Amino acid sequence: MKNIIISSILFFMLLTIKSCSLDNYEKPNAILFGSFIDQETGELIEQDIINGTKITVIEHGFETPQEQYLVVKNDGTYRNTMMFPNTYTIQPKRGNFVQIDPVDLVIKNETKLDFLVLPFLRIKNPQIYKSANKIKATFNIEQTSIDKVQKIGLYVDPEPSVGEYKRVFAKEIPIGMQVDSSELLTIEIDLNTVSELKSGKSYYFRIGALLNVPEAKSNYAKAVKIQI
Amino acid sequence: MKRIQLSIILLMIIFTGCENILDLRPKDKLDGIAMFSDPEGVKLYMANLYSQLPIEDFNYRRDGFNGWIGENMYLSMFTEEATHSEYSAFLDPNNLLWWEDGYSLIRDVNLLDNVIPTLNVSDQQRNSMIGEVAFIKAYAYYYLVKLYGGVPIIDELQEYTGDADDLKVPRSTEKDTWDYVLRQCDIAARNLPSVWAGGERRATKWVAYALKSRAALHAASIAKYGERAAMSGEAVTKLLVGIDKSYADYYYEETIKACRAIMDSSSFTLYKENPANANEAAENYRKLFEFPQNATDEVIFIKGYTLPGSGHDNETTFNPAQTANGWPHPGRMCPNLELIDQYESYTYPGSSAPIQTSTAPNDLTDYSGFNVNKAYHRYDNPYEIFKNKDARLWGTVILPGTQWKGVDIIIQAGLIKPDGTAQILTGDPFTYNGKTYYTYGAANNTGYSGFNLERGNYTRTGFGFKKFLDSATPVVYGYRQGLVDYIDFRFAEILLNYAEAVVESNYMKDDAQNQAYIALNRIRHRAAHTVNIPLTIQNVQRERLVELAFENKRFWDLIRRREFHTLFHSKKRHALQPILDLRVTPAKYIFVRSEIQNSWPATFYEQQYYRPIPGIGSNDLIQNPQY
Repeated sequence: MKNIIISSILFFMLLTIKSCSLDNYEKPNAILFGSFIDQETGELIEQDIINGTKITVIEHGFETPQEQYLVVKNDGTYRNTMMFPNTYTIQPKRGNFVQIDPVDLVIKNETKLDFLVLPFLRIKNPQIYKSANKIKATFNIEQTSIDKVQKIGLYVDPEPSVGEYKRVFAKEIPIGMQVDSSELLTIEIDLNTVSELKSGKSYYFRIGALLNVPEAKSNYAKAVKIQI
Repeated sequence: MKRIQLSIILLMIIFTGCENILDLRPKDKLDGIAMFSDPEGVKLYMANLYSQLPIEDFNYRRDGFNGWIGENMYLSMFTEEATHSEYSAFLDPNNLLWWEDGYSLIRDVNLLDNVIPTLNVSDQQRNSMIGEVAFIKAYAYYYLVKLYGGVPIIDELQEYTGDADDLKVPRSTEKDTWDYVLRQCDIAARNLPSVWAGGERRATKWVAYALKSRAALHAASIAKYGERAAMSGEAVTKLLVGIDKSYADYYYEETIKACRAIMDSSSFTLYKENPANANEAAENYRKLFEFPQNATDEVIFIKGYTLPGSGHDNETTFNPAQTANGWPHPGRMCPNLELIDQYESYTYPGSSAPIQTSTAPNDLTDYSGFNVNKAYHRYDNPYEIFKNKDARLWGTVILPGTQWKGVDIIIQAGLIKPDGTAQILTGDPFTYNGKTYYTYGAANNTGYSGFNLERGNYTRTGFGFKKFLDSATPVVYGYRQGLVDYIDFRFAEILLNYAEAVVESNYMKDDAQNQAYIALNRIRHRAAHTVNIPLTIQNVQRERLVELAFENKRFWDLIRRREFHTLFHSKKRHALQPILDLRVTPAKYIFVRSEIQNSWPATFYEQQYYRPIPGIGSNDLIQNPQY
């Protein structure tokens, strides 16, 4: 009886150990990286890190392929260092630019893929400065379509990754019409009335503007660090 | 050796048993044929179907019906109504799912639907059965379309003939699914009795109309306000989610007609509609939820609980720490200051009455905490500040210093020492003029109910919760011991559905504008208001929020009106801190509007307007946007 118990324990241990051996798949050792670039100006397109543009990748060779998503950094670049070498269908979705078609791409080693896109809006001549305990932001908006601008905003956060969805404070102004590129827009935050921002600390301020089309994300200027 | 013999015998028994296994009739269970050939069996089967209905009762949490994640995250904690005492509310794609359970109920009801023509019952019984089947289908699809948009409609029993592909049904459009729900409600209303002879809590004609009014209003709002959160993708272009704006008025009219059927029947009225004063109104309102069985004039459909152990956890989870009676996890539901602000005051009817703590111009938006230079209003007791607020506030929420179950509920965030130093949410006992004062209002942690973060047992917002609670019985230690009934449909909701549909669609027929104005103000009169307010969208929405608070309505109101992503965009919810001010003698109370300790801003992403369809790899359905 004792033997039976011991041998069955051994048998199960064997099974357990057997299942521990490494599988025969390659590690995900390919890298996909690149940028979102304004096709007219050649500049990087600023993004949201939370709820921002997502790059959909579908790996070929599966019967029921699932979409996977890559996120984009604030400055408009992206980099995923853990991809399996394979062929993929790649398409950025729900971004702050005009939708582009999917591309098929073989990813191996370090593969670079830049997206040349047309941003919904361009924030031009952004200026953010402090005067008399107020933060003032002035800028122009250049439209690339005839849609209406939904809102403009000045977003504040202690982190440089500040944006519409990552902020401790925001001042937003609804617009609801087209904006002429010559019109100087101003957003003001009166620091005397804002309890969320502590004086003496530094915060990142970022100008954003949202176009009124389905699932659009805001277009941004670069974040600016100011001590208040 | 003996062992081997035994095993051989055992094996023999097992193999012998295998012989005719498919022909055997189980002796301890009813089989299908026996079940449906006996009306009592059908009744039993029907009870099982009712128990599967997606009724958003007290056991409905973010992990769905009879949810058991253990954190007790209720729907109201995702809205401005409340905050959990311990956790932040995050809604993720795995929450509120009801796909397999839904289609399992639909299959079960289709099975019954199939045998109804063959049953040996009277025509009257057959009709009511047809009505009940339609009602259950309507309820199931109502919840599915609310979650997923258009879904596959399986109206007849499917037979498996060896090829799974034959069973696959594509998604209907969202509009077709809502229309199916409304059609089933009509069939139910036509066939169901107005009342069950034995007083059973089964669907009646009125329950069917009530469901129809709720469903049609949801569809109407999506049609009217869908563009507030326009989405893209295959599900949108194929109309699987979203309804064209041009149908809004049609659905509003369907809502209006369903409500009017109930209103014009004179079968229902409001419970204790004419209170003598606000105190009486508050108590009437509270009792409506403690004893729904006594409020048959208002209540249209009740889900009851009879067995301790299969009830709900309201008593244990919601009672304040002081009346927890030894239960280790009380006080989870903390009503937010945002909700308290919304209740009207009798002095200024027709608008929300936010709690003013001082005369400072930015008083209502300043959440930076106690400021020694601010001239706070001072009060003799911790509830005087709520004087003249709507009776329903007093019936829903345990206010600081008020009595609950014979105990003075102490909710205090700190004290201001005579020299002006603040000791808030921290600090040792402080002795002054021979008397000892405590930060949280009492010497030990069983003596108060607020602000201590220990184990999440104390309210974080400064308010306790009492709607739905048993006011007399001490808390029974254990899970699922709560037996207070849940009201699924009541007349007040019907009046509010009616008012909303009329004002949203500017409906003019049948004296509608005037009737809706009367309906809106009837509900306010029951809460001891005497001044009528005009019928506006804002007034109806505020009235829904305060009258139906914590009844799992606000969440869906924000969803269907597509207001969630705008209102909950990095949204902070807030607390009201009662603080004992020792700078004056005798000591008085001041109040500070403040942030909720350890809480995070909440953001609702547009993706969440619909849930993800599970299993698209094998069921070939089109996924919802943004999943």
